[in-house]
Amino acid sequence: MRMINFAKRNFKELIRDPLSLVFEIVLPLFLLFIFQQFDIPAENYRLENFTPSIILFGFSFITLFTATLIAKDRTSSLLIRLGTSPMKSSDYILGYILSLLPIVLIQNVLFFITAIAMGLEFTISIIPTILISMIISIFFISLGILIGSLVSEKGTGGLGSIIVQLVCFTSGMYFPKEVMGGVFEIICKSLPFEACLTIIQGTLHNDFSNLTLLHIIVFLIYFITVIFLSIITFKKKMISDNK
Amino acid sequence: MYSIETKKLTKKFKDKIAVNEIDLNIKQGELFALLGVNGAGKTTTIKMLSGLILPTSGEIIIENMNMKKDIFKIKEILNVSPQETAIAPNLTVKENLEFMAGVYQIKDKEKKIDELIKQFKLDEVLNKKAKTLSGGWQRKVSIAISLINDPKILFLDEPTLGLDVIARKELWKVINSLKGKITIILTTHYMEEAESLSDRIGIMANGKLIDIGTSQELIKKTKAKNFEDAFVSIATGGEL
Ligand SMILES: Nc1ncnc2c1ncn2[C@@H]1O[C@H](COP(=O)(O)OP(=O)(O)O)[C@@H](O)[C@H]1O
Ligand SMILES: [Mg+2]
Repeated sequence: MRMINFAKRNFKELIRDPLSLVFEIVLPLFLLFIFQQFDIPAENYRLENFTPSIILFGFSFITLFTATLIAKDRTSSLLIRLGTSPMKSSDYILGYILSLLPIVLIQNVLFFITAIAMGLEFTISIIPTILISMIISIFFISLGILIGSLVSEKGTGGLGSIIVQLVCFTSGMYFPKEVMGGVFEIICKSLPFEACLTIIQGTLHNDFSNLTLLHIIVFLIYFITVIFLSIITFKKKMISDNK
Repeated sequence: MYSIETKKLTKKFKDKIAVNEIDLNIKQGELFALLGVNGAGKTTTIKMLSGLILPTSGEIIIENMNMKKDIFKIKEILNVSPQETAIAPNLTVKENLEFMAGVYQIKDKEKKIDELIKQFKLDEVLNKKAKTLSGGWQRKVSIAISLINDPKILFLDEPTLGLDVIARKELWKVINSLKGKITIILTTHYMEEAESLSDRIGIMANGKLIDIGTSQELIKKTKAKNFEDAFVSIATGGEL
């Protein structure tokens, strides 16, 4: 299958970039570890809440490095060569998405092993949590494809770190949005990151009382829009880059 | 039957006409050299013929298939060594070959790869990452890859650019061994290359195909001493 062949190549490119692994895995693991050392008395930092936060934080780097890979591919002549091969658009898009899923899985497993080692109670709901977060990761990967199709390799660093910041500040991972109130609260509600975190936390706790209909609607709108936009933008760019 | 046929093939970029109403008929097994100064429109022509970009107007027929209708079938039987070296930087040479074999869904993958390793003497660089190779080696790998699907039609866009004399002569040998078996379109700035390898030569200037013939025919026509003079005379419209 062409798609899997392409995914294999992408996976190799990704894991051979040590910097991407540091940010996708080592940095989130470090944060998970360090915040537990302070014994902060806020709900957010309890392991069962903070582990999902770390998963989401890791995803923001998945967006960054997906974007970088695609922007790099676009400037290299490799895509020119592939453009003359029988590969179809779906082979490219699915090939990119597939190549990142193993990295997401590795992230999740390592985060949970570390959390359990630090005292997180092992429950069966960890398994559906990993599955749900892999689905959510498709949103972050598509966002990376979209960014990588729109801007140059240099630009992906900037846009990617904006996503990292947005995840940190608007997901509620470090502090609840109510702390800031007003406009900030509205921003948080209209971005998908709080919804993502609430879904992952809810699955881990097996308790969805914090999840609102608005969360689900906001997430679905972003999820569908970003997937759709990433496909058409990549397709268009693939042609216009070579025009 | 022609391997490649174009009718009034044209490509415009905004108001720039890069390729202007080109009519080509290239026979099966022919080695056709496309010459012209930088910006003449050679690469754009190759990009259209290989299905990478769409013409603004005109028609392309490859092996009796219309590019508009059968683009994916056509892409199965051709290959391109682009002007810029095109390989995956973080993969080794071996992995690059395997990757491209997968792209073309080659059945007997290992056998084909071994054959290319021998043909291009790639043994010593096989396990090196592509990005660590010298420009000449990268180009060699890039050209080797373009044979992975045993193409019926091969486009070589300035294949010997950046190769040293020995590597160039080696590549000539490879190209000569393919001659007659597959259709090859080659662009180059080296006149002796065009002269010694090709069956016919087309000369482009400002997007137009201004002359076409064997090197001997072109020399005769311009009453030049050698092919280089003939080319200069044609490409400049007799000014030089
Ligand atoms: N993507 C593009 N956008 C605008 N102009 C282009 C593009 N690609 C090529 N051109 C122009 O078209 C002309 C032909 O270019 P090209 O086919 O690369 O020439 P050659 O390969 O003969 O050097 C040049 O003037 C070049 O600047
Ligand atoms: Mg060119």
